[in-house]
Amino acid sequence: MKKQFFEGFGDESYVKAELPSGLQIYIMEKPQYSSSYAIFGTKYGSIDTKFSKDGGEEISVPEGIAHYLEHKLFEGEDGDAFSKYAKTGASANAFTSFDRTCYLFSCSDNFYENLDILLKFVQSPYFTKENVEKEQGIIAQEIRMYDDNPGWCVMFNLLKAMYHNHPVRIDIAGTVESIAQIDSELLYKCYETFYNPSNMFICLVGNIDTDKALRQIENTIIDREKTLITRGEFDEPETIVKPYVEKKFPINTPMFCLGFKQKIASPYRRLKSKICVDLLLQIICGDASPLYARLMNEGLINDDFGSEYFNGNGYAAIIFEGESCDPERVANEIKAEINRLREDGINRKLFSAVKCGMYGDLVRRFNSVENLAMSLTECAMHNYNLFDEIKMLKAVSFDDVMKRFDVFDDENAVLSVIKPLED
Amino acid sequence: MSAKITQLSNGVEGVFIKNQRFNTTLISFNFYVPLKKETVADNALLPFIMTSCSKSFPDFSALNFKLAKLYGANLSSSAEKVGDYQLLKIAISVIDDRFSLDNESLCDSAVELLTQLIFEPKVENGAFCEEDLAREKRKAIEHIRGDLAQKRTYAKKRLIEEMYKDEAYGVPKCGTEEQVEKITGESLYAAWVNLLSSAFLRVNVISRAMPQGLFDKISEKFNAIERKDIPDCTKSCPTAPASKVNTVIENMDIAQGKLCMGFSSELYGDDQKTAALTVMCDIFGGGPYSRLFANVREKMSLCYYCASSSVKSKGLITVDSGVEKENATKAEREILNQLDIIKQNLFTDEEFQSSIKSITDSFKSYNDSQGLLDAWYSLKIVKNKLLSPEEASEMISNVTRNDVVYAARGVKLHTVYKLLPGVKEG
Repeated sequence: MKKQFFEGFGDESYVKAELPSGLQIYIMEKPQYSSSYAIFGTKYGSIDTKFSKDGGEEISVPEGIAHYLEHKLFEGEDGDAFSKYAKTGASANAFTSFDRTCYLFSCSDNFYENLDILLKFVQSPYFTKENVEKEQGIIAQEIRMYDDNPGWCVMFNLLKAMYHNHPVRIDIAGTVESIAQIDSELLYKCYETFYNPSNMFICLVGNIDTDKALRQIENTIIDREKTLITRGEFDEPETIVKPYVEKKFPINTPMFCLGFKQKIASPYRRLKSKICVDLLLQIICGDASPLYARLMNEGLINDDFGSEYFNGNGYAAIIFEGESCDPERVANEIKAEINRLREDGINRKLFSAVKCGMYGDLVRRFNSVENLAMSLTECAMHNYNLFDEIKMLKAVSFDDVMKRFDVFDDENAVLSVIKPLED
Repeated sequence: MSAKITQLSNGVEGVFIKNQRFNTTLISFNFYVPLKKETVADNALLPFIMTSCSKSFPDFSALNFKLAKLYGANLSSSAEKVGDYQLLKIAISVIDDRFSLDNESLCDSAVELLTQLIFEPKVENGAFCEEDLAREKRKAIEHIRGDLAQKRTYAKKRLIEEMYKDEAYGVPKCGTEEQVEKITGESLYAAWVNLLSSAFLRVNVISRAMPQGLFDKISEKFNAIERKDIPDCTKSCPTAPASKVNTVIENMDIAQGKLCMGFSSELYGDDQKTAALTVMCDIFGGGPYSRLFANVREKMSLCYYCASSSVKSKGLITVDSGVEKENATKAEREILNQLDIIKQNLFTDEEFQSSIKSITDSFKSYNDSQGLLDAWYSLKIVKNKLLSPEEASEMISNVTRNDVVYAARGVKLHTVYKLLPGVKEG
């Protein structure tokens, strides 16, 4: 087992280990805490719809299959994982996003027993014709629940209008039609490809003994031959599909998402670039910015307004979102402000204030075992060191941030709007 | 963890929760005022307007700039319903001085800022400023109207409105659109004066060390005010059983229906007896081991989610679920059937043990979160005594099967609210 020790902020430290199978393990001890948080994840999400294993033929799988697999994995030949956790008192869950599937639990007692349940059930798929068919009804209901969620809909309408072919445009759970094509054979195929230890990671934070946890993981992980995963490429043009998309819902105040599709130079995310873009967004429209004040005072936004740097394998975009009586005007104001700041430069005092604010947010992250475990999954996904973010943030200069205006191109902007029915 | 009450002034308590785990200090002011139709909207607007500007920071940009410079100090405000009272919260969380990159004492600055916001709002001639008022009223109205976008929240809110039609608890936590519209600069000023003179206040401080002089400063401020008519917010009116179950059905252009059910119970308050209600409610529809999840959702596939929760101060149990229209009646029947199983003592020992373990395990993790600790010590308003999460966990461990059955037998269906796909009437 290869082991590395990291420190770099206060008295915080963690261990990163790699088993011969390629499984990556991150453990951060927080001995003062009563509880612990554990995540067992795979780099496999809703966008992995085309792939080949060990140089074999490329296959396409139905949309929503990663999420379907997540649901089914809880069921084992010897009962479901939830009933095992019920005996220990842990609180367990799982989620599937665009690029990963994570199984997690938090607990105050019985940590090693819970870890055993987690390690074993994620490694023991049990898909039968009957149990796969039975799940269709439950997932179809989940999909229908999202159909009633305007916040979800305004976002996916934006992605569909931004991306021609990249599967980030499809709903994570798929559609009622696509999940109907899923059977046990396909689930096993995806499982064998992506749930190989070489494509997986474990992140543990809390009242944990690192050596004991490592020994337990080493003894429980089934040693399998590493798989070579080749993810399918999607011929995604740099341009958008259409600049405006609108839908009506039973709501009172219109909702919007304004996205700027970014050209992708490399599928890998650089930490420094993320930090600079996050700072830039705070300068453009954070709650201390002139634009925010103007939009708020003119009654065009409320506290739901926000922005994010949305990116992953093969996609990147800046997204502004919120509620507004006049989404088109908000979109125009944002575009005008970006172009003004690009020309006139940004306010140095505001730059220094938002940098301070972001530093505080990073310090705050160390308060929560859950936030730390989630941050370590980012480290596992993108090969970061947890302490790099604070170091890099301190070193970011005014000019570094100014350079990041390249992420905005009005030609590649899309506005997605949800309007009230009676409009 | 240790926590104790210090009396700071008439009806003003300070609670210091010493905790070495965090990199931040959290200070929250929790004002309790009676929940009334006439005053709910003014009161609910106060924490928001008071954290948007002050005499020293006349606009929110200047205030937000200051917060960013204080290393992203987190200023928050909320208005919640706690039994028959409104809980108005204003809180600040700031990173500890040891992480400051210059020599400024962040904690002192945060305390200074928070007290300014509370005691020196931006007012003139006995009124809040028109511009600030208009902005906050608009946001409040948009927030109230925004409930419609969250169908689950909306359905739960409608259930409570129907269930407590003529009672204080039926008043929406921030009032109605019409009530917000009526707020004036003067009425809001009067609400602020009343807040300082007549609200019960608990100040929570969660930190490694008590910020120097904070409690003295608060004492001094409140001793200078004539404090009177402080409500006894330890008591709320329990939910009376319905003489006849009220069923309300509404239609909306949605894909999936919502089924919410409200029950009265015979236990209320916050003691060993009501710990049984917590366990009963958890066996009914708490975790994945619960009767509702394991049977109504998993075995029968009648709902995508189906969960129960309790409001112990009111002795209220609610169930909310997402159902297909054609399953709504069947799901309703099955939810009642699961409750009957608990009443008849037919639940398994495994379900009982799972529930106790899950609740106690989660109480033990409260000390790991400043937010949860703050919520805990602001919601547990028990006279002269603080109940810690550890003590509450102990109370849960002492609950027996018989206690659960006894609690369940007092639970009676009161109101059913269904929001179903279809054309909205009227």
